[in-house]
Amino acid sequence: MIDPSEHLVVDCDWHYADTFEQVAPYMPEPWKTKFQKSGWGGTGVKQNLSAFFPASTGNRFNYGKIEREFSEYPDGGDDKQDVVEGMDHLDIDVTLQISHLILAMGGISADDRRVESFVKGYIDYMLEEVLDPDEGIYGLAPMPYHDIDASIDVLDRIEDEEAFVGVVMVTAGASPPLGNRKYDPIYERCEEEGYPVVYHTGGSGLDDYVRAGYQDMIETHTLGFLESNMSQIVSVACQGVAEKFPDLEIVFMESGVTYIPGLVSRINEEYLKRSEEAPMLEKKPGDYITDFYFGTQPLEVSARPDLLELCFDMIGTDRMLYASDYPHWDFDSPSVITDLPMLSDEDRKNILGQNAVEVFDL
Amino acid sequence: MSADDRVEVGPASEFEDGDAAIVQVGRVDVGVIKADGEFYALRNECPHDGGPVCEGKVEPRLVGEWGGPGERVDQHYDDDQCIVSCPWHGWSFDVETGEHIGDDRYILPMYDVVVEDGLVYVNDE
Repeated sequence: MIDPSEHLVVDCDWHYADTFEQVAPYMPEPWKTKFQKSGWGGTGVKQNLSAFFPASTGNRFNYGKIEREFSEYPDGGDDKQDVVEGMDHLDIDVTLQISHLILAMGGISADDRRVESFVKGYIDYMLEEVLDPDEGIYGLAPMPYHDIDASIDVLDRIEDEEAFVGVVMVTAGASPPLGNRKYDPIYERCEEEGYPVVYHTGGSGLDDYVRAGYQDMIETHTLGFLESNMSQIVSVACQGVAEKFPDLEIVFMESGVTYIPGLVSRINEEYLKRSEEAPMLEKKPGDYITDFYFGTQPLEVSARPDLLELCFDMIGTDRMLYASDYPHWDFDSPSVITDLPMLSDEDRKNILGQNAVEVFDL
Repeated sequence: MSADDRVEVGPASEFEDGDAAIVQVGRVDVGVIKADGEFYALRNECPHDGGPVCEGKVEPRLVGEWGGPGERVDQHYDDDQCIVSCPWHGWSFDVETGEHIGDDRYILPMYDVVVEDGLVYVNDE
């Protein structure tokens, strides 16, 4: 076993607990004024329940069973020091920050500019107040992908910023799914800039989950991330994003790993029966999927060891990226990787850091 | 090769492009398919589930060409590539090579086919 404190650890999925109050001063007008006049502060509404983005319900703290300050969503939001202290706590050298609030963007179906204005404000806020490559704090820029022009604006904004090393596409709610040609200009630009596309799942709330009526978070948290990721993986693979943009690095985040072999098996079975429906492909869709990269969190360490070993073999330890999801309630510390008995120390070091160094050109 | 080493299929003039005939060659069924004016003979047993693959549809292969970012993939039938699709589950094979169009590790065994004096024969080897 290796000691994470003695090796490079890159956390590819750190959730920055941003708030609208933090980001609003950086937002473009008229959204800045709209937000600031909304009476937000006087309502007593917590920042994770949003009148600006749709709310996602479900009690992350197990109805009081989990009590810890660092996994709450603080009213005031995180600041840079919280990130530094968390990295020190987990022995993480490099983090890729993902906006917590942006994960709700998939719930917006109005043709307005909420997402674009939030993303632009978020990027300026993070550059000004949080990101710091000298301390290993990098960012992934959210793509307001339902508006391609706005997405290109964002890519223009970050292209000379060392602190942003990739983009995020929120998988929950993306319609049409993210293999659609509509998104090609984003992929083309990301390929040119060398930005990996990180597909980050979402959609674990009760009321806005894909099927109404679930009663507890254990149900939707089991399914939401998985369903969101799988639906986009199928689209991205079958529509040939990897063939169109062969130098684009594709990363799927936050659904563990045990679903991937099953999905690969199903999609290959379909492909052999319906090959002509995926004419862009030069090989089986599952072969593209196992060329994607996958964040490890939440790693199903409770699975049968032989199943987990099979999953690692199918995906390839060169395609796995350590992710903590910190400070969310179900975060994984680096020990979930270092304690896996079937891995070699070389595998552990690659998953913890070296793979990410190559993917994100850190 | 003696006449005993081959199986007569029938008059070539009775085949249109896309037609297939099933004959027994040794212990196996073989599909003789005419495509783009040429004859091909493939084992009539799908490697997937044993279906009568050569009794399926014979047609040009649908291919896609991408024009660039944001463009639809242009899908059209390629008259230079002909496939036969198993009627049981749709596995499709290139009639010239016997290879599955999606995974060339799956191959239908091919047989020599000749036309002599207007008759089509499959070699029994």
